[in-house]
Amino acid sequence: MNRRHFLTGATGALAAGQMAGAPGRRPALSFCDCALDPQSAAQRVPVGAQALEGFGSKVRITNLKTFGVTIPGAAADRPYTFVKLETNAGLSGWGEGTLEGKANAVMGCLEDFREFLIGADPMPVEHHWQSMYVHSFYRGGPVMGSAISALDQALWDLRGKILGVPVYKLLGGPNDPDGVRGYYAANARTLDDLRRLRETASAQGITAFKGGLPNYYEWIETHEKITEAVRHIETLREGLGPDLDIAVDFHAKTSPSVASVIIKEIEPLHLLWVEEPCPPENVKAMARIARRVATPIATGERLVASYGVRELVEQGVVDILQTDMNHVGGITALWKVAALANVSGISMAPHACEGPIGMLASLHLDSAIPNFLIQECCGQAAPQVRDKVWEEWFGFPAMRMVNGKYPLPEKPGLGFELTEEALKKYPFNGSRPMARVFHKDGSVAEW
Amino acid sequence: MLMIGVFVSAQLNPQLEMSTLDVFPVREPVSKRAYTVLRLRTRSGPAGYGECSGVSPADLAALRAAIQGKEASSFESIRRGLTVSAPALAGLNMAMLDIVGKFTGVPVYQVLGGPTRNQARALAQIEGETDDAIMAAVGQARAAGHRAFLIPVPATHSRNHSATLVNATRQRLDRARSAGGEGCDFVLDARGKLTPGDASALAAALERFHLLWFDEPCPLSNLSAASKVAGENVTPVGFGRFAAEAGVFQDLLRGDAVDVLRPDLCRHGITQIRRIAAVAEPYYLAVAPFHDGGPIATAAALHLAASLPNFFIQQVPYPAAEEDRRMRSRLTGKPVEDVRDGFLQLPVGPGLGVGVNEPAFTEYQERAA
Repeated sequence: MNRRHFLTGATGALAAGQMAGAPGRRPALSFCDCALDPQSAAQRVPVGAQALEGFGSKVRITNLKTFGVTIPGAAADRPYTFVKLETNAGLSGWGEGTLEGKANAVMGCLEDFREFLIGADPMPVEHHWQSMYVHSFYRGGPVMGSAISALDQALWDLRGKILGVPVYKLLGGPNDPDGVRGYYAANARTLDDLRRLRETASAQGITAFKGGLPNYYEWIETHEKITEAVRHIETLREGLGPDLDIAVDFHAKTSPSVASVIIKEIEPLHLLWVEEPCPPENVKAMARIARRVATPIATGERLVASYGVRELVEQGVVDILQTDMNHVGGITALWKVAALANVSGISMAPHACEGPIGMLASLHLDSAIPNFLIQECCGQAAPQVRDKVWEEWFGFPAMRMVNGKYPLPEKPGLGFELTEEALKKYPFNGSRPMARVFHKDGSVAEW
Repeated sequence: MLMIGVFVSAQLNPQLEMSTLDVFPVREPVSKRAYTVLRLRTRSGPAGYGECSGVSPADLAALRAAIQGKEASSFESIRRGLTVSAPALAGLNMAMLDIVGKFTGVPVYQVLGGPTRNQARALAQIEGETDDAIMAAVGQARAAGHRAFLIPVPATHSRNHSATLVNATRQRLDRARSAGGEGCDFVLDARGKLTPGDASALAAALERFHLLWFDEPCPLSNLSAASKVAGENVTPVGFGRFAAEAGVFQDLLRGDAVDVLRPDLCRHGITQIRRIAAVAEPYYLAVAPFHDGGPIATAAALHLAASLPNFFIQQVPYPAAEEDRRMRSRLTGKPVEDVRDGFLQLPVGPGLGVGVNEPAFTEYQERAA
């Protein structure tokens, strides 16, 4: 039987016995859904957000602008990617989608979403999120995740400004009116430096720090390098003392095997967590580490949407999730990740190592979730170049802790005013690749 | 550094600051369905209304203490310190969101990030024990605009008698499909009363009837019993009206034991069901909140539906007695349970968007039996 004959035969069988309903009402068959505009041909349902007209506000988005922002002299700083949504109401919303090493890609992706938002009401943020994510067809990924994050934050900023309230109030917060507990990086090289940092912490009310590993690691490691890593972490505890919480970021430099050996050695130090003990793509690998050690395991900064964390939560692999406001899909997605985590008793310690917009958005979210632990900002106890620039932009010290907490912005929306003029001093100087590191033999190392 | 006006201050906005909470237990005259309306007042702003299955005197005292010195927008911080029953918290949640919506001048679904849809599919909860009573109610509900019906499994007299059960159920459903007419759909409700074996046999026999789903097919006492029903056939199953904890839903999802999540609106409230829905979303599953309360909770359900991406259908009680239906329409100033072509309409106006008719609370007040 040739293919044509087979198809004819099958249709005959359907007509004879299988198909319910009157023959005259059979639907037209469709052979391919790859047409780029399948629904508008039928014209039965208004396209896009038009279907929701009359159920939202009269505000309409009139423009979408992307900004690459480079701060010269800020060694650790990526070029930031910001987005601004302008409206016919004179209000603007800002969001951030900084993705290290891929600034051009995110700015391109933001442009790809232009048609989704121009002319639309900014209020139904969940609708826009779903449309951007689902209608992109190809799911997830950090480039799209970061672009959606930026637009989601900008929509929430607009929503708060339109309604005249800070975003945390729309989310049910604040858990703590004094602000959001945070930590700084433990930027110290020696035991003496660490002891001075401990005194600074005591004076400023800082309650937690994060350190890292001192080297790069191969699939299996030598006694020497394992001992060096263990001593390094022991020094952190010795210098910072018993009362501060200490997290150690393995930054996925280690394989599951090497990470397990190191973590077993440092269990007596009672760390707040060990972060990304192996790369993020393989939940079972992460689970293998978590099963063998008692130290809490944190991960998630590279994951997108609640889809990205489902398996980690389902398998009860981790103690702490760290999805990032600028990659996970903004406030909408981070709230959902927190909801999933909460049901399994997993805490949230959102990652943040980019610009200030995503961080301020994180504060609103942090202050309104039940399972919040602590918020990162990649800052240091002593203000850095970027802190000065941020204060220049916003008129207040953003992400600087007071008594161990970041004060919560109170103005409507995300709680800051930013002008394009302020950004002009920091023009985009191109995408900056992430660090590339190699082992002694020239092979590629995790960083 | 003191930054006045930039960061959060301790000062409360009297438009949002909650002051008094009162409860009004009411009861439908014929069905005897009982529920409680909550009225939450602010210092100088609007009052908010909520609804739940009931608030005990101890819970009422605890809620009244908890709202002092707090703004109606701060549900998360209030929830933190409270150990009241879930329904009491659910009712407070609705009333607080009603105030936030009225304060910001928009429907609650907009506060929550919606709308995600412009109407909400309705599921009429049909009353009646005999086939005849059920067919009459289906016909009536159909005439009132309903297209989807929640039908009880026929009562049977012993366990493990699948032939009798299958035949009686099939007969009831076939008659209901005729009574409902073209374009009608059905949810079969076993109320958690069948054995897993009976439930699985029935679900398998009905695979080609294309139920929307089979609701509470067996008791949710343990996951392996529940998994049996979903694992042995393709009839979708719903679970959740008896689940007190969100973790139960997560276990059902993990165990591939469920197709539709059925959290009870008057037990979990808007915010908690939003969290349960968030758990379901990455499993590509929807919520269809269970609802056996009154019309104010129906309004809350519509705002919930319009805020969720993964909402499917909203159950609404459809009392067989005209007196009960009249009471439901009189509790609210404007109709919220009218159905057109199978869909409930989103309430219009700030907050929950229902004008509440307080004199009716006294008229239908629940009295000790």
